[in-house]
Amino acid sequence: MTNLAILPILIPFLSGVLVAFTHNRLGLTRTLAMLLAIVHLITMGFLSFHVLTEGSIVLEAGDWIAPYGIVLVLDPLSALLVLTTSIILVAAVWYAPSSVSEEQESFYFYAFVFLLITGVSGAFITGDLFNLFVFFEVLLMASYALITHGGKKVQLRESIKYVLINLFSSMLFVTTVSYVYAVLGTVNMAQLAERAAASDSPGIITTVAILLFFVFATKGAAFPLYYWLPRSYIVPNPVISALFGALLTKVGVYSLIRTFTLIFHQQPEIIDNLFIWVGNLTMLFGVLGALASRNIKLIVAYNIIPAIGFMLVGIGMFNIDGLSGSIYYLLQDMIIKAALFLLAGTIASLAGTADINKMGGMIRSHPMLGWMFFIGGLVLAGVPPFSGFIGKLLLVRGAFEKGETVTVIIMLITSLLILLSIVRAFIRVFWGEGNTGAEPAGKHGSQIFSAGFLMLFTVFLGIGAEAILPSVQQIADYLLEPQTYIELVLKGDH
Amino acid sequence: MIFAILMPFIIAMCIPFIARFKSKIHTGYAVFATALSIFIYFLTLLVSGETDIFYHYSWIPSLGLDLTFYTDGLALFFALLISGIGALVAFYSVHYLSKNERLGHFYVYLLLFMGAMLGIVTSDNIYALYSFWELTSVSSFLLISFWFTKKASTDGALKSLLITVLGGFSLLGALVLLQIVTGSTSIRTILSEGSLILSSDWFPLIIVLLLLAACTKSAQFPFHIWLPDAMEAPTPVSAYLHSATMVKAGLFLLLRFTPVFRESESFFIAVSVIGLLTLFWGSYMAVRQTDLKGILAYSTISQLGMIMSMIGYGTEAALFAAMFHILNHATFKGSLFMAVGIIDHETGTRNIRKLGGLWKLMPVTGIISVLASFSMAGVPLPILNGFLSKEEFFTSSWELAHTRTFSTGFADVLMHVVPYAAVAGSIFTFVYSMYFFFGTFTGKRDKDIAEKAHDPNFGMLISPILLVCGVVIISIFPNWFSHHLLHPAANAVYGEALKEHHIHFWHGFTPALVMSLIVVILGTAFYLTRKYWAGLYQVLPGKLSGNAVYRALLTVSEKQTKTVNDRLVNGSLRQYNMVIISVISVVTLAILFGTNAFDLTNIDVSPVTLPGSLPELAVALIMITAAIGTTVSEKKLTAIIILGVVGYGLSILFVLFRAPDLALTQLSIETITVVLFLLCFRHLPEMERDIKEKLSKKVTNIIIAAVCGLMMTLVGLAAYSQRLFPSISDYFVKYSYKLGGGDNIVNVILVDFRGLDTLFEITVLAIAALGIYSLIKLRHKGEDR
Repeated sequence: MTNLAILPILIPFLSGVLVAFTHNRLGLTRTLAMLLAIVHLITMGFLSFHVLTEGSIVLEAGDWIAPYGIVLVLDPLSALLVLTTSIILVAAVWYAPSSVSEEQESFYFYAFVFLLITGVSGAFITGDLFNLFVFFEVLLMASYALITHGGKKVQLRESIKYVLINLFSSMLFVTTVSYVYAVLGTVNMAQLAERAAASDSPGIITTVAILLFFVFATKGAAFPLYYWLPRSYIVPNPVISALFGALLTKVGVYSLIRTFTLIFHQQPEIIDNLFIWVGNLTMLFGVLGALASRNIKLIVAYNIIPAIGFMLVGIGMFNIDGLSGSIYYLLQDMIIKAALFLLAGTIASLAGTADINKMGGMIRSHPMLGWMFFIGGLVLAGVPPFSGFIGKLLLVRGAFEKGETVTVIIMLITSLLILLSIVRAFIRVFWGEGNTGAEPAGKHGSQIFSAGFLMLFTVFLGIGAEAILPSVQQIADYLLEPQTYIELVLKGDH
Repeated sequence: MIFAILMPFIIAMCIPFIARFKSKIHTGYAVFATALSIFIYFLTLLVSGETDIFYHYSWIPSLGLDLTFYTDGLALFFALLISGIGALVAFYSVHYLSKNERLGHFYVYLLLFMGAMLGIVTSDNIYALYSFWELTSVSSFLLISFWFTKKASTDGALKSLLITVLGGFSLLGALVLLQIVTGSTSIRTILSEGSLILSSDWFPLIIVLLLLAACTKSAQFPFHIWLPDAMEAPTPVSAYLHSATMVKAGLFLLLRFTPVFRESESFFIAVSVIGLLTLFWGSYMAVRQTDLKGILAYSTISQLGMIMSMIGYGTEAALFAAMFHILNHATFKGSLFMAVGIIDHETGTRNIRKLGGLWKLMPVTGIISVLASFSMAGVPLPILNGFLSKEEFFTSSWELAHTRTFSTGFADVLMHVVPYAAVAGSIFTFVYSMYFFFGTFTGKRDKDIAEKAHDPNFGMLISPILLVCGVVIISIFPNWFSHHLLHPAANAVYGEALKEHHIHFWHGFTPALVMSLIVVILGTAFYLTRKYWAGLYQVLPGKLSGNAVYRALLTVSEKQTKTVNDRLVNGSLRQYNMVIISVISVVTLAILFGTNAFDLTNIDVSPVTLPGSLPELAVALIMITAAIGTTVSEKKLTAIIILGVVGYGLSILFVLFRAPDLALTQLSIETITVVLFLLCFRHLPEMERDIKEKLSKKVTNIIIAAVCGLMMTLVGLAAYSQRLFPSISDYFVKYSYKLGGGDNIVNVILVDFRGLDTLFEITVLAIAALGIYSLIKLRHKGEDR
């Protein structure tokens, strides 16, 4: 039974290897990729169901007992995240053939996608800080390959920034892991948590934790470390943007949630305020960029950032509502961001430009596209009954419970500005005079459907929130009590 | 009951299919039938006296979000208003909108709106109420922009969306606070915990947020600016959403929570002042409008202000009068909007300057308008319901000072000022009502209009005629309405049973009558002399306008944000790195020293002795020099070679510290790096070191680099000297051979204990290889083309 925990990384890993070998037979590659993505989705569905009903699965890799070997921990939080990842994978593989050039597709495109998913899923399930670094490397290397894939000049110009900044943060990451190891003498997360809680000199633990915070905040694009993100995310193909926008920053946020609830919460007065204030500023500055943009893809890319701010403040609240709000927001934001990137890609492709001021009246020929984009805006702004609302409500409640009125006001204003940024784009692109993209949908049909597939989940996470929310609240409860995780992994026998 | 509320949504889902058959029947009839059946359902409830019906469905219990509906007097009152006016508007729209319009869309939005409104008034759950609240904002947005090619429509729609959603979000804040304070999401429970709310620390914030929600939705000063622009919507929408129902959602919200707040002095001050100010400002601005719908929009703002102020008074009489006026306003304003729609339809213009003398051409419309507008003005005639509720308004204003006592001086003064303010605000109401009617139906007639204008077909007239009949019937039988409709509603608002209230046309010479007469006399005078004081508008508002603020904010959101953002995200990698590195360094240093973590008492480093440590010192010195050298060298070849020196130095250090395997690894990595660099040397761009770079910039960079290095060193030292726990490495020493079968511990760790790491590091290399291969190949192919 415990071996099941390897599946979230094993399936995409083997899939990646498999499709790499079929790269000169495009039809086969596409079919295989879709098939494997669906297999992955179904498996993750079963696995998540199993974890949520039967309890977490811990795998000690190579049978080396924790804390000495590497453990993979498929707990409810990780399970929901790998499930969400697999949903996005399906949509991406569905969208790709109509958007990526055949040449690119045959140059290991799908292999990179699957290996990216391997890294992301690995980061979600590992219980080992150094192993987390390794999976970060896997997903980063795959992302380097994808962001430069196609090799257009603008792509290379923006991706060099992406690569260099991420290299810097990887370097900082591995150095910080060595500091953590020096202080606490281990890299197993459960043991780190146990030791950090038992230590009586929290100062040094908090200090190295801050470095780790910045490592993850750079990946997660928090203020003021996000500058590199928006422009580098819009240069590759929309599928890649969607994968990046949905997954990469969220791995950073997940890592923050995991390490700072489990291990590094020794000095809440510092840590919580850091999260809250970085979160507040991230919301405000992120939405500023979204308002300033005229490029439809850039508007979506900038909207990643305020969402990160929402999740960060939720962690800073450190109560059930705040944390469950962050987690819910995280899950739904992955899906809606992927959907919006895909929609924006289709819009730009139909219009032949990404400048919203050069479009108009598109709703006439593409009503489905338009209404999905509009609903996407409502989701981002947290308008009920869509999924964004559930997360936002929990976050507002968590913030009020902690007495952080300023944060609530910033959250609400940010939501309004997010709505403005998207609705303004909607009005300029889809309404008004003109008739942009009048030709029939054609190959864009499958693009609209794959985005619609994601929108279904968004609507479900809003209206059907009850299916997931109790589990999320249990997760928050469990994150607030690190002892459960520690006992789960260490089994008290080390 | 659940069916009655969900019916609009269900029908809305069917509309796209119904709309297919638009060639045969107008889609509007389906909507009419829906609204009418809902109206009849609620009417049966009213007649049977069967209130307090209750329906419960657990939707998202983990969030406290349930679909719980119940009908008390207040809910029933509003539900009848919504469905009744809804039916009339739907019927009217059938004749107003031609079949060539996008009727499917129109009626879907309209039904969504109707369902949402019914949801607001019947919800017991605060979050369900909130959800419906936002849905009304969104459907209003879609209806205003129904003619989406017109810029004025989409601009008006955006404005209304932003302002009402701003209110929506503050409502969310208020409701969350109410839940936190009372621990419940049920409105009925919250209302029963009034004292808990009033004594809570959150109380001021709750009031502010709730008022923000109510004032934005109900177009109160200074948030009223969206309503005139919302007139871009088709006229049935204006009649329905923007005069009869949606704009009253804000009032409803306050009425819903009145049982808790009516005792509060701050509530009295805030709501009354906002209400009276809006009453005055709306009516004052209405006289200035030239578009008939503009006049009606400002008139609606003013009337809403009047109702708002009565809610603020919080007395029995005032709350009853508020309910009464909500009903009356819906009848006369609804019929006026429909009349304007007819005029627009027939003459092709709504500009009052072009209109005039329509009385003879359109007598039926004229009669509708005269009754409705005179009722709105509060002309003392026994057939005008507007006069009756106006009287009630004056009475409650006058009696306020006798019924309530306040502890603060300001509230006390305010309560004595209220009657005067009420009269002052009502004078312009009279003026614009006269202006509206006489400007349109009397005076000179435009030649073009004369030829084509006539009363429309009977279908279009039915709805306004019915509404005007309502005006007359209510004024003739006010006590029937009072007993069956208003009284139960006012009871619910007040929170306890009121004594039976009788409405009379004639009260004797009461203060209220005197106030009414003052309004009529002064109003007539102002109306007749309006040419002479019109210059006043140059002074007030002059250039002051809420719209200017809104436009400025919108421009800021587009232009200034760009300026700021471009400065932050300027595309310069160097700046990104500067920001990232300095933030990380400064914050970490601050925490390091702030938490007293820089503690080197237990540091365990080997001592530096002079002849003994000489080799290490020498290597370290060379490395430092080389590291500095790379940053200043001006040729790439030099830079590459010097960089190699740093690496080789490190491997020598490994040798000195007796780690030959590490030394070898380092040596091979270094060699490969240098060889690779040299291999692609020809393709590397020339180094463009900006020699003329400003000194200050150089100094900044040096400082940032130095601080970062310092930070990493200090944290490293601190971490090294505070080894709080024994390392787990003992395990590997102990079991490397026994369990792993290898002498070399590092190797066993790499391939066995932590084999997973190694597997994926290999994967990283494989991805890198594939990535570079496809980068080169794809790029190569791209260049071929």
